[in-house]
Amino acid sequence: MSFEASRIVSDMPQNAANALDGYFSIKVADDLFGLPVTRVQTIFRIGSVTRAPGGPRDIVGLVNLRGKIVTAVSLRRRLGLPYEEAGSGCLAIGIEHGGEAFALLVDEIGDVLSLAPDTAIAPPPHIVRGRAKFAAAYHRVAGRILPLLNIDAVFDFSGDR
Amino acid sequence: MDEMLKEFLAESAEQIDAASTQIVAFERHPEDAGLIASIFRLVHTIKGTCGFLGLNRLQKLTHAAENLIGALREGAKATPEVVSAVLAAVDRVKAVLAELEETGQEGDSDDSDMIALLEREVSRCKGELADEPEPAAAPEPASIAAIAALPTSEAPAAAAPAPEPAPARGAAAPAGAAEPAHGKRAETIRINLITLERIMQLVSELVLTRNQLLEITRHKEDETLKSPLQRLSTMTSDLQDAVMRARMQPVERVFANLPRMIRDLATDLNKKINLVTDGGDTELDRQLIELIRDPLTHLVRNCADHGIEPPEERVRLGKPAAGTVRVAASHEAGQITIEISDDGRGLNKARIQEKALALGLATPQQLGRMSDEEIYRFIFSPGFSTAEKVTNVSGRGVGMDVVRENIQAIGGSVALSSTPGHGSCFALKIPLTLAIAPALIVEARGQRFALPQHSVVEAVGVNGGEHRIEFVQGSKILQLREAVLPIGSLAELLTLDLPEESCGEPEQLAVIMRVGAHSFGITVDAVTDVQEIVVKPMGGSLQHLAAFSGHTILGDGSVVLILDPNGLREALGLEQSRETAASEADVARVGGADKMRLIYFQAGAGVDKILPLSNVARIETVSSDKIEQSNGMMLTQHQGRLMPIVPAAPDVMVKEGDNTVFVISPDDKPFGLLVDAILDIVDEKLDIEIAGEAPGIVGVANFNGVVVELLDIAYFIDMSRTPASADVKRESRLLLVDDAAFFRDMLSATLQASGFEVVKAESGAQALARVAQNARFDAILIDVELPDGAGYELAARLREAGCRAPMIALAPFASREVTRAAEAAGMAAAVGKFQRNQLLDLIRACVGDDAGEFAFASGVAA
Repeated sequence: MSFEASRIVSDMPQNAANALDGYFSIKVADDLFGLPVTRVQTIFRIGSVTRAPGGPRDIVGLVNLRGKIVTAVSLRRRLGLPYEEAGSGCLAIGIEHGGEAFALLVDEIGDVLSLAPDTAIAPPPHIVRGRAKFAAAYHRVAGRILPLLNIDAVFDFSGDR
Repeated sequence: MDEMLKEFLAESAEQIDAASTQIVAFERHPEDAGLIASIFRLVHTIKGTCGFLGLNRLQKLTHAAENLIGALREGAKATPEVVSAVLAAVDRVKAVLAELEETGQEGDSDDSDMIALLEREVSRCKGELADEPEPAAAPEPASIAAIAALPTSEAPAAAAPAPEPAPARGAAAPAGAAEPAHGKRAETIRINLITLERIMQLVSELVLTRNQLLEITRHKEDETLKSPLQRLSTMTSDLQDAVMRARMQPVERVFANLPRMIRDLATDLNKKINLVTDGGDTELDRQLIELIRDPLTHLVRNCADHGIEPPEERVRLGKPAAGTVRVAASHEAGQITIEISDDGRGLNKARIQEKALALGLATPQQLGRMSDEEIYRFIFSPGFSTAEKVTNVSGRGVGMDVVRENIQAIGGSVALSSTPGHGSCFALKIPLTLAIAPALIVEARGQRFALPQHSVVEAVGVNGGEHRIEFVQGSKILQLREAVLPIGSLAELLTLDLPEESCGEPEQLAVIMRVGAHSFGITVDAVTDVQEIVVKPMGGSLQHLAAFSGHTILGDGSVVLILDPNGLREALGLEQSRETAASEADVARVGGADKMRLIYFQAGAGVDKILPLSNVARIETVSSDKIEQSNGMMLTQHQGRLMPIVPAAPDVMVKEGDNTVFVISPDDKPFGLLVDAILDIVDEKLDIEIAGEAPGIVGVANFNGVVVELLDIAYFIDMSRTPASADVKRESRLLLVDDAAFFRDMLSATLQASGFEVVKAESGAQALARVAQNARFDAILIDVELPDGAGYELAARLREAGCRAPMIALAPFASREVTRAAEAAGMAAAVGKFQRNQLLDLIRACVGDDAGEFAFASGVAA
């Protein structure tokens, strides 16, 4: 059994002045989400994954990020999208939530967008309940609707046990 | 110098300084109630500690000072005289403290002048207060007196234990005096706990990184790298050691509050109790010190309360009037053992048995078979207390279970021994630290796990050689020397997926563990390593997983989960008491009558076969050289007797090496059923479509979309009996009415095997038709849950039709309602479908009893 280390893509300085109101656009399958830059600590490609038997389905397992154990969560699984077995090489965003270090596995990470309050729109009313909780707000940016990821909901597994 | 004394000095110096500053501030702001309360607390703390340490002079001084401050707190005016008196007292305390630091002794100067001064001020304050109604003034000094434990002011009963801490202390004090006594304050600094934890955490990370480096360079022959790395490695280890030691504290810290407690207990209970502590300097991780405090306190309380007899009783028994509670700590093999023993009456076995019966924890038969040790262990059951009267000390039945749980939670164990009339002894075994633990790295289905070594007893090879896993009543059992251990597969307990490529022979090793009173085994594929692991707690999202206590990073950088032996024990279902286990099984039977535990296996070339697991007494692996051919029959030695073996299908052959044999024991003549391989054991509902043309097959069932054949055990029973041994007498004929084909066949097989001729009917109408065709049935078995008219109704109709045979009501479970209804319907008896023996006995009784009557009846009919 060989171990593969996680590889850092970029470290996020926590207080980058230009990023205070910025949002990463992240992509899973055909879905695009906004993620506050301030919440992102690291972007990395995960190494070997240790599964956590009996844990919530959406938790892929545990990975070693520079000597720290982080809980890897598949956003695809979280959203109920088709997924492949997550493993070494998957793109991940390091986010700390509730005192726990998480790696959120996504397909792509795009540009940083600046969102103004006036681009916010009311949530579309027909979004299925399973999905609706994962969006904190909706913005219309460049003709496209961008839901902002509700990080609290993504990392709240109390309903999945 | 005594560790505690050192700490006391460091602490008191700070407190005294704070107190004098605050006193001065109070003089200026007498309206500040918070300030005086804080001063009172400071002095009170010092006084309390003096009490523990037996510093009588300081205690008297601080007691007097406290009285005065107490008066101030109750509203007396802080006149300059009063404040001066307090400050003077503070100065005197400081002087005594200095002397104590210097010589390790309090010095024997007289403080009566100071005490007199303080008392004078107190009475002046009291006089001042006399006009007002005294709010809480009276109880206050009383409680102070209780805490202060001044021998002169105490009740005589309390006086006895008071001098008791002296011996332990007497030994410590001269040792302290011998040490260099200068500059104590410079030697200790107080570190914020968080800082210490942070250092510990960093060191842990460093250890991990070092391990990783070592792993990487293990195969490299680079000398320039090797020697600095070697140095780094040694230094890291030393650093880790040093930090660990910084976290270590003498166990004495927990012992410190015991003398007080024992003293109070002795007073409350009117007993004479001596406390002896030993090995207080044994060091333990500070985190653990806090964690064992409550369990230890509880056990000591229990000894004092339940163990030690009242003085009169002790004298009558020829024991010294004063009982002894001994608390001893020692360090052995990476563990700390703390023994709490008393010389009291020991555990009351009879009362424990009584209570266990009353609580339904065991039956009298079970109790009869139990060793004393096993019986004593009941005191760790929740809600178990044999104390006749609930004192404020103990006897509320909460506690011992909590004690055991708390100790187990930190990877420790509690052992218990007791000799009637001579006392009992609790031994706590506690790991030195929680942060770093040796662990086995085990592998199951390609995934590695760390298993803390503290609960591992041994690892043995299984499935081959002398240790073999057997199925007993559907559960895996390992016979290891004298012991019969429950055993489970780690992969199954954790429901691990199969890896893509399976590596080697799976589950060849059983790791035997002991958690509290339970010993059990876990099978794994391999033990790959033994490592010191740095235990890190699980993150919040996975914390609820009982099977894991944390995670860690191994030398190669990979993350592994740390198995929690307690969680594994629970996963194996070992916490259930026998009674709940039994009643749940009953519920399962009643609730899911159609769902059965089935063994699913391969035999011969056809489709896979199934059997109700209840039909299989045991599963054994029999080596081919142990199977002999005799008179056209296979035989093997089984428990000292020759047991016939029949193949489960005509084309099942004995294989070279190990063969799987189901031991089937319909009565006391067991036989073996040779199969090819066990595939699974499942709880399933079966839809049986009767086919029955092939011999030995009851029918074909649809099993999760796969066609399987249900074996007819009766056929094999017949096959296994040579004509000589078969005592089949088909004289009694039974009519079996049941709408469920499965039970019809299962029961008919059982009945036929027992020598009855069985005619089956699947409905009331069919039953009536069968009786009409041929009235000669010796007994009729009716499922009372028939769909077309309840069974009771059928019974009535059969009677109307002139049938005189005794009838037996069959129900999934012979509840009282069923029995009553059956009686009302004129049926002879009611019995549960699964109570095979009872059913057979009943039938035999009915057939025997009614034989004459039946002959008469049939004679009339003819």
